Amino acid sequence: MFSPYKFEIESLNAWFGSKHVLKNINMKIKEKAVTAVIGPSGCGKTTFIRCLNRMHEIVPGAKVSGRVLFNGMDIYNEDVDPVQIRRKMGMVFQKPNPFPMMSIYDNAAAGLKLNGIRDKEKLDSVVERSLKLAILWDEVKDDLNKSGASLSGGQQQRLCIARALAVEPEVMLMDEPCSALDPIATAKIETLIRMLAEDYTVVIVTHNMQQAARVSDFTAFLYLGELIEFGSTKEIFENPRSELTEKYITGEFG
Amino acid sequence: MSRLIDIGLEQLASVVFRMGELAHKTVSLSLNGYIEGTNYYEEVHNLSDMLITMADEAEDKAFELIARFQPVASDLRILKSYMKITYDFARYGRYALDIAQIYSRLGGLKECEDWIKQSIRHMSEKVLSMVRTSVDSLKSHDTNLAEILSETEKQVDSMYFEYLDRLVEKAPATNRCTISSVLVVRYLERIADHATYIGESIIYLATGEKIILR
Repeated sequence: MFSPYKFEIESLNAWFGSKHVLKNINMKIKEKAVTAVIGPSGCGKTTFIRCLNRMHEIVPGAKVSGRVLFNGMDIYNEDVDPVQIRRKMGMVFQKPNPFPMMSIYDNAAAGLKLNGIRDKEKLDSVVERSLKLAILWDEVKDDLNKSGASLSGGQQQRLCIARALAVEPEVMLMDEPCSALDPIATAKIETLIRMLAEDYTVVIVTHNMQQAARVSDFTAFLYLGELIEFGSTKEIFENPRSELTEKYITGEFG
Repeated sequence: MSRLIDIGLEQLASVVFRMGELAHKTVSLSLNGYIEGTNYYEEVHNLSDMLITMADEAEDKAFELIARFQPVASDLRILKSYMKITYDFARYGRYALDIAQIYSRLGGLKECEDWIKQSIRHMSEKVLSMVRTSVDSLKSHDTNLAEILSETEKQVDSMYFEYLDRLVEKAPATNRCTISSVLVVRYLERIADHATYIGESIIYLATGEKIILR
């Protein structure tokens, strides 16, 4: 049966050792839309998106319970290979992390090469397509052999997005992707996020509320590991139901 | 610790509240002049101009707060509502000026029959009470008071149409009275509409609900 939801999260709990960091989260994330996760530092935002692609369990002592249905299938089922899940979800982090010893071309092609693709024509076309999708192609097309580290911070972040897009994921998970960038580079990434949402499901963690208001269709507010409010971004930023959300987004605390 | 935006919101509220009192004074003076037979055109003109200037001042302040703080939630609703309400207050002033102008050009109720005098007096009292209620409910963000405006507006509407019906059936002795009184009841009816718009803005500001009181 067709579902408009990419993720259906049911009673999700997460721990670091004995520390209970996500408490009974229930939430449905719509396909081909941008969902922002906001909340004060330490509220569980990053842990939340790391539970969506089974990255949380990589940390020693970390534990998860509950269900995360991805395309209707529980990614925490015993027979699911986490590596296969992660392949379907590109991830972008706070600090741009291109492979510093690799060229721009090799960075964009890295995922495909890891998957064993060696066909030069195929690699060329995917590199070009991914760099174009990340709105970076025009800036780097004549310097593809230069090091990825030679780019500006904003360009490096777009290179990381291109690298993630090259393996044709279904979802882009972004963990504060603009917090290390200047306003111009931030604006470019935000435009890119909106463009990506035409074909991908985007989940973005941000501590910048104005960014959530600008780029997202839906917003989730987490506080002390609990999902306090989840709804359309317009609703959350114009007329939040919860007093706690109101206080956080108007800057009374946080 | 109070937020930086709170200082600006307080300054804005102060302008809007002062406007409310001034708007009430303007409508009251104009209606009083029309009914009692005194020409207050100059005074009402000055007050109406002051209301327009204050509405501009409030709008500038609201835009400054948007640019500086990117307000959301109740802060954003306050700014949107205050901008709408200051426009409504300026309209109160404009209709008060229209009434003063009618008195100045056509005279008041002197030549009119008693039933006309009574009707207009009665309608004026109702409308002035609505103006008062709109100002008071704004100061207290009182949604119950705002809702009362809906009921009174319906009464004013009925009075307006009844007045027109009666005029058709029983024309006044002079054209001067007919034209002057018809225009004044029309302005009164419009002032009542703006009072309900203010009520709607207050309910939105306080609850986030967009309802129509008319």
